[in-house]
Amino acid sequence: MKFVISLAFKNLTRYKRRTLITAGAIAFGIMMFIMVDSMLGGAEYESVRNLKWYETASVRIYNEGYWEERHQTPLDINIPEGASVVKKLEESGYTASARTVFSGDMILNAEDFGEDGNLSVQVTAIDTAKDYDVFHYGDTLVDGRFLEPNEEAVLLGSWLAEDIGAEVGYWITIITRGNGGFYEAMDLEIAGIVNCPNPNVNRTLIMMPIETADYYLAMEGAATEINIKLPDNADVEAEAAEIQKTINSFDSSVKLRALDWKYMASDYLAMVEAKRGGTGIVLFLIFIIAAVGISNTMLMAIYERIRELGMMRSLGMSDGKIRASFVIEAAGIGLIGSILGVILGILANLYVIYIGFDLGFFMRDMDIGFRIQSVMRGIWNIDTIAGAFFAGTLISTLVAFIPTGRALKMDIPSCLRHQ
Amino acid sequence: MIKIDNVVKNYENGETEVKALRGVSLNIEKGEFTSIAGPSGSGKTTLLNLIGCIDRLDQGEITIKNEAVSKMNKVEKTKFRRKNLGFVFQTYNLIPVLSAYENVAFVLSLLDVSEAEVKQRTMDILKEVGLEGMENRKPSKLSGGQQQRVAIARALVKKPEIVLADEPTANLDSGTGEEILKLMKEMNEKHGTTFIFSTHDKMVMDYANRLVMLHDGQIQSDESRS
Repeated sequence: MKFVISLAFKNLTRYKRRTLITAGAIAFGIMMFIMVDSMLGGAEYESVRNLKWYETASVRIYNEGYWEERHQTPLDINIPEGASVVKKLEESGYTASARTVFSGDMILNAEDFGEDGNLSVQVTAIDTAKDYDVFHYGDTLVDGRFLEPNEEAVLLGSWLAEDIGAEVGYWITIITRGNGGFYEAMDLEIAGIVNCPNPNVNRTLIMMPIETADYYLAMEGAATEINIKLPDNADVEAEAAEIQKTINSFDSSVKLRALDWKYMASDYLAMVEAKRGGTGIVLFLIFIIAAVGISNTMLMAIYERIRELGMMRSLGMSDGKIRASFVIEAAGIGLIGSILGVILGILANLYVIYIGFDLGFFMRDMDIGFRIQSVMRGIWNIDTIAGAFFAGTLISTLVAFIPTGRALKMDIPSCLRHQ
Repeated sequence: MIKIDNVVKNYENGETEVKALRGVSLNIEKGEFTSIAGPSGSGKTTLLNLIGCIDRLDQGEITIKNEAVSKMNKVEKTKFRRKNLGFVFQTYNLIPVLSAYENVAFVLSLLDVSEAEVKQRTMDILKEVGLEGMENRKPSKLSGGQQQRVAIARALVKKPEIVLADEPTANLDSGTGEEILKLMKEMNEKHGTTFIFSTHDKMVMDYANRLVMLHDGQIQSDESRS
């Protein structure tokens, strides 16, 4: 067996260029696999974080009937005495904050914006004292200031501000229906502009103080939702069930329902799953190309050595040892390719993780589902790197069986006559 | 030692059947230096292949050292060849990535031989065939005659009782071919190894102790020479 291994590795040097080209193809496949997996993993990680930090929080409490009607943002399906519920949750050890979300028309005046216009919008009224404890807007302010309680002012997402040409100090008017169906118009000054890393939020964000919304919309202390922050590594499904038990014990006039972010972002998770499937097919194709490459290389190597193979069989070398020699040779090519691929993959990953790809130019105007705004960064995934290494070597080893088996089916005189 | 009894071998060539051997019978004794001669297509290589257990016959029987090799299965034939037969090919068939030493030693690595013995026997045989000092050269750094010497060393290193050589000098110039024949003859006399080689070269036939002439798959003549 020592001779078989030694022969296999010496044969690797027989056609150096071909060995390097095939190993290069495998290396490229592995590098792409590691890099694409890293980018997808990074996008998923960042998207989940940005979902929880800027969109859904970890767990949200609604009036039981709200979720089905959420697209209409009904104010009458609310949580009465929102502040009181928040207080009880805080007493139970949770970090919580109430919000009221409503839809309306935003009127833009020619005086500030150059021309008159209007836009359908969704406004989020926040508890300015507590909201930043649950969500992470604290470090996103790019212009102006944060909201103060009771003031008639708004914060805008930077992309929305760009789209409508808004600047700090401009005034907008929101026309909506209050709780009970009456029309209400609110004149609000733009106090600040935030650049939220979640593109879905940054495109549409309008925030105002909950006290102001409460007054104009006649909410009488009610909120449409209460958001709860949990540690990043929390088991949100279990925690949501626990929170549900807690709120069931509250003396509330309506039934409340706690939903975890996975439930609320089920569309996003389904999209990620679909993307993963699609990417899996692409990665599978990359490996197929590498497999065809090595299969072809081994086929050529075997075809060129048919006479040599006949000589070895004549001298009494068993088919098993001849097969082992070619399979080890293929494994050697796979090993070289896999080592190179892992090295290149790690180097590419360093770039992807620490610098990343700035996709802001198309993320700005296109919704690809991921909650990332511009720079797509990767993550380290040791399982992927190890898996790619072993898959590269194993596939190379396995594909050598087919051409070797075919060559060994030839009779020895035919092998010896082979030109 | 070798008993060939009424051997028939046919080949399919497209839709035509080629009768390569038509009932050949022959006995070869231990230590003979036998040439199987004849024009192209006379069946020389086919007969050598059958004696060498690398081809299957259609009729008849071949017995070597009292073993009916023609009835052996593939694995048994492989083991038999490994232990008992040496081969020298017209085109040398050396492994280009291995040195002269490794090309010879590899045959012993197939047998149950210690590393020390592999080294000793390989160095000895390379010295005997006149390649001392060239052990580390790759085939590409050796002349045609030197490559055939490596091939002869490879055939003899396991001390087989029979060496089969298919046109061993056909790729060499006459001077080098004669040197190779002298070497084979020397090995035959020194080790008592039975040599059977095919040729259509008159000079090569003259070296044989026994000349078996084939024509159209049949033995035309069988003469012993002193």
